[in-house]
Amino acid sequence: MTRIEPVEMARNAVEAAETPHASAFVTVARKAFTRFGNNTLTQNLDTETTSITLSVGDGERKASIVFEDPGPQSIRAAAERVREFLKASPPDPEYMPPPPEGQIYPVIHDSADPEASECPVEKRMEAVKGVIATAAGFGLKAGGICENDWVRTAVATSTGNLAHHEKTAVNLSFTLDMGEASSYRNLNHESWREIPWREASEQVAREALSNQGQTEPEAGEYSLILEPLAVTNLLVFLYWSLDARRADEGLTAFSDMQGKPVSGKGLTLSSDPDGQVKGVPFNPEGLPSRSVVWIREGVLENFPCQRFWAARTRREPLFMPECLQMEGGNGSTRDLVSETGKGILIRRFWYIRFVDQKTLKLTGMTRDGVFLVENGRVTRPLKDFRWNWRPLELFRSIEAAGQPVGVSSFLVPPLKIGGIKYPST
Amino acid sequence: MMKQAAKRAVEILESLGVQYGDARAETVSTEKTVFRNGRLEQAILRDSRGLGVRAVVGGFWGSASCTGFDAGSAEAAAKRAYELARSAGGKGEKPLSPLAPQRGAYKGPVEEDPFDVPVGEKMALLDRASREAMKDQRVKECYAWLGFENIRRVLASTEGSMVESDLTFSEPFLMATAVSGGDAQSRSLQDGARIAGWEWIRQCDIDSWGEKAREEAIEKVLAPESPEGVMDLLLDGIHLSLTMHESVGHPTESDRVLGWESNMAGRSFLGIEDQRSAIYGSRLVNLVADNTLPYGLASWGWDDDGVPGQRWHLVKNGVFQEFGTVRETAPLVGRSYSRGCCRAMDYSSFPINRQPNFYLEPGPDGITPEDLMAGIRLGVMIEGRGSFSIDQRRINFQFGGDRFQLIRNGKPAGPLKKVIYRSETPRFWGSCDGIADRRWFKTAGFLTCGKGEPMQSARMTHGASWARFRNIRVGGGK
Repeated sequence: MTRIEPVEMARNAVEAAETPHASAFVTVARKAFTRFGNNTLTQNLDTETTSITLSVGDGERKASIVFEDPGPQSIRAAAERVREFLKASPPDPEYMPPPPEGQIYPVIHDSADPEASECPVEKRMEAVKGVIATAAGFGLKAGGICENDWVRTAVATSTGNLAHHEKTAVNLSFTLDMGEASSYRNLNHESWREIPWREASEQVAREALSNQGQTEPEAGEYSLILEPLAVTNLLVFLYWSLDARRADEGLTAFSDMQGKPVSGKGLTLSSDPDGQVKGVPFNPEGLPSRSVVWIREGVLENFPCQRFWAARTRREPLFMPECLQMEGGNGSTRDLVSETGKGILIRRFWYIRFVDQKTLKLTGMTRDGVFLVENGRVTRPLKDFRWNWRPLELFRSIEAAGQPVGVSSFLVPPLKIGGIKYPST
Repeated sequence: MMKQAAKRAVEILESLGVQYGDARAETVSTEKTVFRNGRLEQAILRDSRGLGVRAVVGGFWGSASCTGFDAGSAEAAAKRAYELARSAGGKGEKPLSPLAPQRGAYKGPVEEDPFDVPVGEKMALLDRASREAMKDQRVKECYAWLGFENIRRVLASTEGSMVESDLTFSEPFLMATAVSGGDAQSRSLQDGARIAGWEWIRQCDIDSWGEKAREEAIEKVLAPESPEGVMDLLLDGIHLSLTMHESVGHPTESDRVLGWESNMAGRSFLGIEDQRSAIYGSRLVNLVADNTLPYGLASWGWDDDGVPGQRWHLVKNGVFQEFGTVRETAPLVGRSYSRGCCRAMDYSSFPINRQPNFYLEPGPDGITPEDLMAGIRLGVMIEGRGSFSIDQRRINFQFGGDRFQLIRNGKPAGPLKKVIYRSETPRFWGSCDGIADRRWFKTAGFLTCGKGEPMQSARMTHGASWARFRNIRVGGGK
């Protein structure tokens, strides 16, 4: 396939719609991955899929169809089916035509790497076999996945907007374990050049070995030192909860809070689609992304807001461009440890779920490394524990933040948070 | 075309000399209508058709897929799967549990094809139910949807199997959220999907659900918060479906025990040696896997290994029996047969070890929920599913629910909200001392069980009657 093809598919779908309004969003994705577990390869897969979403409207009603075959006959058949579906739909009091022509989409630099767009199996094999060999050398078991994706998207609207985006992703995540002792790493970047699996696998092996002989933490008050991955695990829930309409309807922790403090001054969240971690230039309806500060020093400045609700509440229509960054400071997790008298160091969380959406209260477990910190040093491994916390409250007590690092589409610092009671109620 | 494509891919695999290979051709048609606050938010159709191919060379898997069923694409996918398997550089074998060549066709039970029901009728039903739910101004949000999907599958293998399935899934849903006093609480219809037709939608009586969800969401938002302490629980089948899913279904998946999911879904607290010996619960606890359950979402006729659906005990009289397996894992956990738990999310995904349908066997005839409640001095009755979280070894868990009643001295003592309970898997199931009879048996169909990397969703059904559990830590998680 050539690079123009997703754009052609989108344009062809819109032309075939034959309705007053139409938009098409196309994803052509090549996804290749190798999985491993118990120090052996378990899966090796390479697939290419196409997904075309054609949304149509007649000024009052709307309907959508998703299909895979981009051939002209298939597009015509899909258009015919969705027109029939449209006739059966009731009028939509919140009907919105596609964004008017002339939308200007940001350029996302360096989002795709030529080598990674080839999804070379040799690269995956080298990394996976290397991690397994390291694990075996340390007497550990390795499990994980090495993925390489090349994803091209395009959007077209009947109002004349047309855009294309391309990105590559290489992701190597692995767990090395022995009994209950384990450690984990997730390496990701647009290119293979930034996947330092050799160094990382040796480091993770040492971390796993140092995690043996875990004991229960003693009840008391601790500082929490959260590695960037653990911070990301919590931020995801803020990402999902930030929505203007649901807040206005009294359904979330952000209800009636725009312009007001929702957390401490240490929390600044923003999105920059062309920043250090890459976002997307448009959403499926053809709205352009832009840089936005959502929360500045604890004050809620902006909400993601769909176009109908934005028009009704006189807000700017905004969406999360699939990336989020949290402001930090200088230094590493190790530096935060060295400044801590009595603390608990946490690598990552697991199975976080809402307990109460209205207060953004979450529950979850720790996983793959919890350590006691005493007088600036990690002194012993601790058993995993369950917690029930409200992240907006946790972030009120940020005492220090390190240098932000990329974790998938998030850019986040390690954090030191003061005054946390263990056990969590 | 589907059969031809699958057959052609298998012929290519055979010509390349693979140790084992199979091809799955699949067409999926989906129709979903979603109403939010009485307004049609989403009306979407989805069509998908393609072929997934697996091959074993030198003891390693390779897998590739293509969109559509033309012969050229099928051949290319087969060759790509072979090349990927070969790229591992293996020289060994991959022992799979034995399987005689399978032949046949399975059609899931459908009395009334939901795709024949006019879309306008479906939308009118959702519109009525949503408006009923929103009749009280305190209800600020109501989601209601109907989802229908038909999946037709053909599986062919180099061992001579050629099987077909034709499955129709029907899913109703409605949830109302009430806001009052700075709080927001929801109540929802959680019976979930079935392999069934429009008759399942009729049976759920969605028209009555608008009022029920509204009244119970308001009751909940106005209710006092949970008491804290150690007390008894009386749990309904819809609630238990999730507790069972997380604390029984996942830890008894054989791939977790083998460490194949150590990086994401996790391992299990069970070991291979625990089969037929580990105490999982009290003697009342019988957990039966059943991939022949007619409306069960995992009843496909054959799984993606071509193994027919089966019924077996996961737990018998409180003792763990055996894992759910696929052909590849069965020999590794000491079994000469697969239990038929191999399923992929779609044609482009690699099939993995998934949970079967399974249920908690009801208690002896004549036992009612009231009988169980009468034996509780202080406790909470929970209906439906809510918050849920469990550690990666599937022991340490915390669950919420959808509707709560305080029980005091054997009687209901008023609604509650924000109830959670915590326990550990063997301790929890060991505390079960009463199960209502089959009249109270309910099932819930899950469409979105997430597992694997990249994440795949899978479908299965769980069921139970009301059951009583003693001395569980309950609280609001303040």
